[in-house]
Amino acid sequence: MAADAPPPADLTGYPMFTRRYLPHYGMVLPFLLLFAVFFLYPIGSGLFYSFHDWNAATDPQFVGLKNYQDILGSRDFERAMGNLVFYIVMTVPLGIVVALGLALLVDSFTGAWSNFFRSAFFLPVILPAFLAATIWRWMYAPNFGLVNMVLGWFGYPSVNFLNDTDTMIYALIVVDIWVSAGFNMVILLAGLKGIPADLYEAARLDGASRLQQVRHVTIPMLAPVLFFVVTYGFISALQVFDVPWLLTGSSFTSYGGRRGALLFPVMDMMGRGFGSVRFGQAAAYGFILTAIIVLFTAAMFALRAWRAPK
Amino acid sequence: MTAASESASGHRWAVADLWTWAVLKWVVAICIAIVAVFPIWWMVNVVFAEPGAPVSINPRLYPTSFSAGWDKIMMILTETQYLRAYYISVTYALLTILGVLLFGSMAAFEFALFDFPGKGLLFGVVMLSLMVPTAVTIIPTYLLVADLGWLNTMQGLVVPGLASAFGLFMLVQFMRSIPAEMIEAARLDGASHFQIYWHVALPLSKNALVTLAILTFMKTWGNFTWPLIVAPSPETYTVGQVVGLFNAPFSHQTVDVVMTANLLAAVPPLIFFLIFQRKIVEGIAMQGSKG
Amino acid sequence: MRNPPHPPDTVNRVASMSIFKTSTACLALLGSVSAAPLMAQTLEYWVYSDFAQGEALALQQEFVTEFEASHPGVKINISGKGDDDLTAGQIAGAASGTLPDVFMNGLAVGAQLVEVGALANIHDQWMAMPQAYRDQFDKEAIASCSPAPDEMYCLPYTGFGEIMFRNLTVLEEAGIDTSVPPATWDEWYAQMQKVKEAGKFAMPDQTQVFNSVASTYAIVGDLDGWGIDFDSKTTRIQPETYAKVLQLFVDMAPLNSGSSRNDQGTKDLFITNQLAFHVVGPWVDPTYKQAAADSGLKYDFVLVPGMTEGQHGGIKSYEILGVAPGENQQIAWEFAAYVAEKEQMVRWASLLSRYNGNAASMADASVAELPLIARSVEAVKYAIDVMPPYFVGAYPNCYRSIVTDNAAAVADGDMTPEEGAEELVAELNDCLAE
Repeated sequence: MAADAPPPADLTGYPMFTRRYLPHYGMVLPFLLLFAVFFLYPIGSGLFYSFHDWNAATDPQFVGLKNYQDILGSRDFERAMGNLVFYIVMTVPLGIVVALGLALLVDSFTGAWSNFFRSAFFLPVILPAFLAATIWRWMYAPNFGLVNMVLGWFGYPSVNFLNDTDTMIYALIVVDIWVSAGFNMVILLAGLKGIPADLYEAARLDGASRLQQVRHVTIPMLAPVLFFVVTYGFISALQVFDVPWLLTGSSFTSYGGRRGALLFPVMDMMGRGFGSVRFGQAAAYGFILTAIIVLFTAAMFALRAWRAPK
Repeated sequence: MTAASESASGHRWAVADLWTWAVLKWVVAICIAIVAVFPIWWMVNVVFAEPGAPVSINPRLYPTSFSAGWDKIMMILTETQYLRAYYISVTYALLTILGVLLFGSMAAFEFALFDFPGKGLLFGVVMLSLMVPTAVTIIPTYLLVADLGWLNTMQGLVVPGLASAFGLFMLVQFMRSIPAEMIEAARLDGASHFQIYWHVALPLSKNALVTLAILTFMKTWGNFTWPLIVAPSPETYTVGQVVGLFNAPFSHQTVDVVMTANLLAAVPPLIFFLIFQRKIVEGIAMQGSKG
Repeated sequence: MRNPPHPPDTVNRVASMSIFKTSTACLALLGSVSAAPLMAQTLEYWVYSDFAQGEALALQQEFVTEFEASHPGVKINISGKGDDDLTAGQIAGAASGTLPDVFMNGLAVGAQLVEVGALANIHDQWMAMPQAYRDQFDKEAIASCSPAPDEMYCLPYTGFGEIMFRNLTVLEEAGIDTSVPPATWDEWYAQMQKVKEAGKFAMPDQTQVFNSVASTYAIVGDLDGWGIDFDSKTTRIQPETYAKVLQLFVDMAPLNSGSSRNDQGTKDLFITNQLAFHVVGPWVDPTYKQAAADSGLKYDFVLVPGMTEGQHGGIKSYEILGVAPGENQQIAWEFAAYVAEKEQMVRWASLLSRYNGNAASMADASVAELPLIARSVEAVKYAIDVMPPYFVGAYPNCYRSIVTDNAAAVADGDMTPEEGAEELVAELNDCLAE
């Protein structure tokens, strides 16, 4: 392997430059090559198609920004973005509150029980998404589904969770939290373990109650971890696809459930690609989503930078 | 005086508080554990029940027939391509793990520990890709793979997923904590650049590598869309695709058979979890705290 | 939007792609038709996933073996696909030049497949078949495959005319005489209300999928008022007629089970005597037959009532056998023609009790006496096409989602049927104009 050559110490000059850095480039080359071929090139050609009308069979026709305009002006985009905003506003904070609650709960146990509950809460994370959605479709079934059975015990009438436009998005959020809370819990749990015990001790001596300790010690100390969880949670929430797709029994010709109540951007994008065979539009859709993610992430980092000096 | 009495009542409060809290937390923890685990338990019960009995009659709170479940499992394993799909999925996952670890760790070694011209730019570009939704690249990548003649092949499944920006990010974060003195010491001992990577950096990053391997396994096993379009031939069906056949809306399989197919897809990750539980949890925790 | 029948680009693209396929590259058919090619040829044959399981798969493999025996050097690989995966796989395959050579799919997606170059014009090959062969097929079904005089894109395969499955136990418990099926909507609706009073569900929620909305449309009738006029890019739906259709959704809203007609949960309700009527294609029959044997389900199937006596609702459609353009087109056609031929269709129909587009096989004595087939043959006569006209243009996704959303909105009480019908037509025309 070319990378075996030991880099000679402090030598400058052009041929030396090559000799000096060759081993480094040699080591990163395989990764970067794969990255260029299977990421940069597809992104580039996706950008190309996003300005073209293309149905896979005929040559792409240049249409300028028409694909972008068509998407931004479409009824489905409006609806998908509306759903997405509501979904994100609900699921990201709620998911974190639940995960934090679980982490605190697990943290309050010791030894085997702590491990037991941690494993139990984590179990849903390891299931493939298609499986989680399949199970929950049955849990939510009207009349005889398990959720309705339990509601029945308390005298509530059957709710058609996956077909009532008032409940559909909440049904999704519950599944979503069921699937992801364990993951975030584990991350937060590690953050909790990293908080020095004397901080709690000091707070206790100041007479802080348990809740006050959480508010004034735990949450500030967890801020960096929370930052990660929020950013990561947001990026994945924006790409929400397979769970609502399967919960609504979607297909490429009909997706999003009753009155589009569970229509999300990536679903709309896949439908435009494989359902309507508008690959150009699908590509443009992807770049619109990317732009949103980049803007949000930048905003998150800016927020962190702004808050940090305080 | 007042201060003392206040503190006493506070103390009494704290004791009561402690008691309620101790009881409450058990109740809450057990309830949540039930919510987390029950749906999976339910699926097991659907499988291990008399065939044909509709779910609406028997809500499946517990398994009723072990032999019926076993028969369904054997039926699916022998009469469908499930075993081959296991083989394909496991191979797909293992090769992806190997590649992601190897290429990712080689690159991470450089990005984390050395300086070379263009490093910041290259690393920045790779990190930016974390923000691009996978769905954006799926169609062009598919066309590329088709041009390479890799449809329905293992390399078509595996190779496009090897340059994992996520994996690189994780490993770089971890390798940054390798002390520079260790590298220097190895170099003074006459180790070559590659030897330093192989004998020093890799062993020190064992935990991160294991975590990445586990996360990659979970991701590949659950990946449905990519195999669906890149490997449409039955010879290369993954477990996800075979289960998809059962889940198809017009499939006239009964619920219990459909659930059996689904359950079998969950078995490898479940086993994996039971074996590597500690590693998985620690690994994910580390990933977040390094961010 | 539409392409010529043989998009030259597709042919080029397929040819250029085949450079990568070392084995099959060189021997392109130069227009001449050789019945028994000497070179080894492999055909990819995609079928519905339920035809790739159990007995159905065994019979399909029998067809393959027979064909391979009479055509040395030809090898055929069967792959089962879910409905959605068929189309997605073909579209992806069209983009990359790796199409299945012979495939099944729905008549309604045909136009889309032609558009992406996945479906070949088989008109010349069809015309080259003996008259006796061509006469085996249902005339109307062939017409559906042939949008213009010199164009033909498919062989009709299995098909369905919708029928109404009745749960006799539920109906009897509600005090309904089951010996005579309801003849009109009014009679039928009266029965639905009785079922509801008895605490059971009358119908699935018909607003949820496009096909069940179409099916409800068919109850009201007016066959010319359904579908798209692709020349003027407008819907054929007339607001006055459609308001009556929407009224039916409003009427059924309090009586339905909340699950769609395709949900597994709906079948579950029917099997457990919670649901009275299930208007659907014959593919649910195996499940119900099994339940009759397992748990004593009592059911039958009758024609879907229409508004007036003697008229019937329900939709019809066909699964099609299509052939991809390219160097394998001739041999692929021969295989498709073999599978769709009377003798094979008789065996297929007897095994599955499924209606198909080969009229001669339907008339075969051993097949015609099967009750499900007899009923289907009758149902097809009255039913409307789901997405007419076929192969003229592709239905945009927005069209289907607007139709179901609108039905749901009216059933939810957000609009009156009259308002809903007006708005529907306006929205559909907007969608088509894009």
